Amino acid sequence: MTMTADTLGRRHDRRPWLTRLAHASEPYLYSAPSLILIIVVMLVPLVIGISYAFRDIQLLNPFSGGFIGLEHFRTLSEDPAFYGALRNTLWWTGASVVLQFFFGLVLALLLDKPFWGRGLVQALVFLPWAVPSFLAGLNWAWLFNPVIGPIPHWLFGLGLMDQPGNILSDPHYAMWGPIIANVWWGIPFFAITLLAALQAIPRDLYEAASIDGANWFQRFLSITLPFLAPTIAITVLLRTVWISNFADLIVVMTGGGPADRTQIVASYIFTQAFKALDFGYASAIALVLLVLLLAYSMLIILLRQTLLNKD
Amino acid sequence: MASIQIEKLEKSYGHVSVLHGIDLDIRDGEFIVLVGPSGCGKSTLLRMIAGLEDVSRGEIRIDGSRVNERHPKDRDIAMVFQSYALYPHMNVAGNMSYSLRLRKTAKEKIGAAVAGAASKLGLEPLLERRPKALSGGQRQRVAMGRAIVREPKAFLFDEPLSNLDARLREQMRAEIKKMHADLKATSIYVTHDQIEAMTLADRIVAMHGGVVQQVGSPLELYDRPANLFVAGFIGSPGMNFLDIIYREGAAFLKDGSRIALKSPAPVTEGSNLTLGIRPEHMTIATDGTGIAAKVELAEPTGFGIILHLSVHGVPVKVFTLDRQALNMGGEIAVSFPAQHIHLFDGEGRRMD
Repeated sequence: MTMTADTLGRRHDRRPWLTRLAHASEPYLYSAPSLILIIVVMLVPLVIGISYAFRDIQLLNPFSGGFIGLEHFRTLSEDPAFYGALRNTLWWTGASVVLQFFFGLVLALLLDKPFWGRGLVQALVFLPWAVPSFLAGLNWAWLFNPVIGPIPHWLFGLGLMDQPGNILSDPHYAMWGPIIANVWWGIPFFAITLLAALQAIPRDLYEAASIDGANWFQRFLSITLPFLAPTIAITVLLRTVWISNFADLIVVMTGGGPADRTQIVASYIFTQAFKALDFGYASAIALVLLVLLLAYSMLIILLRQTLLNKD
Repeated sequence: MASIQIEKLEKSYGHVSVLHGIDLDIRDGEFIVLVGPSGCGKSTLLRMIAGLEDVSRGEIRIDGSRVNERHPKDRDIAMVFQSYALYPHMNVAGNMSYSLRLRKTAKEKIGAAVAGAASKLGLEPLLERRPKALSGGQRQRVAMGRAIVREPKAFLFDEPLSNLDARLREQMRAEIKKMHADLKATSIYVTHDQIEAMTLADRIVAMHGGVVQQVGSPLELYDRPANLFVAGFIGSPGMNFLDIIYREGAAFLKDGSRIALKSPAPVTEGSNLTLGIRPEHMTIATDGTGIAAKVELAEPTGFGIILHLSVHGVPVKVFTLDRQALNMGGEIAVSFPAQHIHLFDGEGRRMD
């Protein structure tokens, strides 16, 4: 009965044509503002950027702009500076993430214990994160500068340096400058997220474990770490992608020098685009970086899935 | 197994004192229940025995040796938590064997201990499961299994049944009692549920306001409560209390109604006392004697009926097995059998 009534009703839909259209398009209209925003500010630039990679676009050459196919990628495959930047990116990302994570975890464990003035300290710990990366880079560049900064004199005093020089201009150690600045700047991210995860661990688990006979380290291994594992996986993944993309500190502190010793792929893109003004080539490098990071993310997600499925 | 002595134990957080001089002597193999309303300090006392809270003053001895300064892991006790506190990343067997693995016990021994405990608790089919995949009752069993595999000197239970539904609680209560009869392990059990306390305990320790109110067997506490707190806390529905004036060897209510007593009380004429009588001991008088009371409410429990009465403005409950009580209304008469009357002095202490 109801079915016949339904089909009949549909066949003889007597609502005006415009009303029917309005009803049909209702969900699309609701989602339109955000969709339009995403398309305009994300997808369109992405597509344009990708298209640049296949075109010859040099700001200083008014006759450029033509389609050149894979020419940029051919150049790229023979560009020693690019391979150097790739190696530096691995080094920069690896050292930064590992150190940020390690110190962030230590800080989170310390802040998890109640002590007088903890609220204030927790707020202060977050401070570096609030400093614009550009300012942080300038500050650290000055700290490493023997003319105005104290660090080279301290290192010299400790006997770690022959003379109070600027490590940012030392080809062997220059990368450590931006890495140290990056670690300082990024610790709060790990500290705060790990602290939040730590505080979600039920206290009586620790009590049960201590009655079961576990010492501090055994409790850490069998309770804290398993509870933190999902947070660690996701934060390390995020930070790895962000840091490998993060050229601010390097551009501000060393500009990729000395002799490209601190040039990472992201800063190499910046140099190609805004110093050499070769947007086409810069876009081609960016595309390669995008593919590499996508591959890395997929790998981590797969790993996470297999780990979760094992449970 | 071991005896536990607690001497002049005090606990304070800053200026706030929560335990005031607790003395307790727990014999080897005894099942002690600490009972009291929330905030009475019973859980704090248990946690101090476990070593999870520091001792402010006084001494705890397990097996004759002082343990105040020992870490929980060095006290050789096991504890069952209200939340069960199972390790979510280990399966049931892993949870139960954790303490043995930490002690580097031989693999065969661990396997035997876990298998033994699992068969005792009916956990064999669940050994590979994670706690997440267990029901409340099963988690409860795993928590108990984790405690018994270690064969510790003493078991501590911190309201272990509070998170279970009523039916399951009844069942687990019986199982805990059976397990204790089986293992004969010294046990200290904290609960706010007086039924659990009555049914499980060899001796009950009734606590209130950080002070031990009475220590004794369940029936001792029921039959001869030491003070108003214990009288009111033990038993359900709770004991009735009436303010009386003592004159000529009998009790008089404010309106002058006379209640006969078994024997004269050792107080001066005209003293103000509190008379206590359990609802199940009061009777409804049908022969014209007794004291007039107004029926306010009747609660059938199935087994019997709880009548809420008003005796000259004072609320009084009567528990009766007589189903006729359900149809009673208006004015009835109740009597107070003299052999069941408890008398408490002005400070709330038992008189005889």
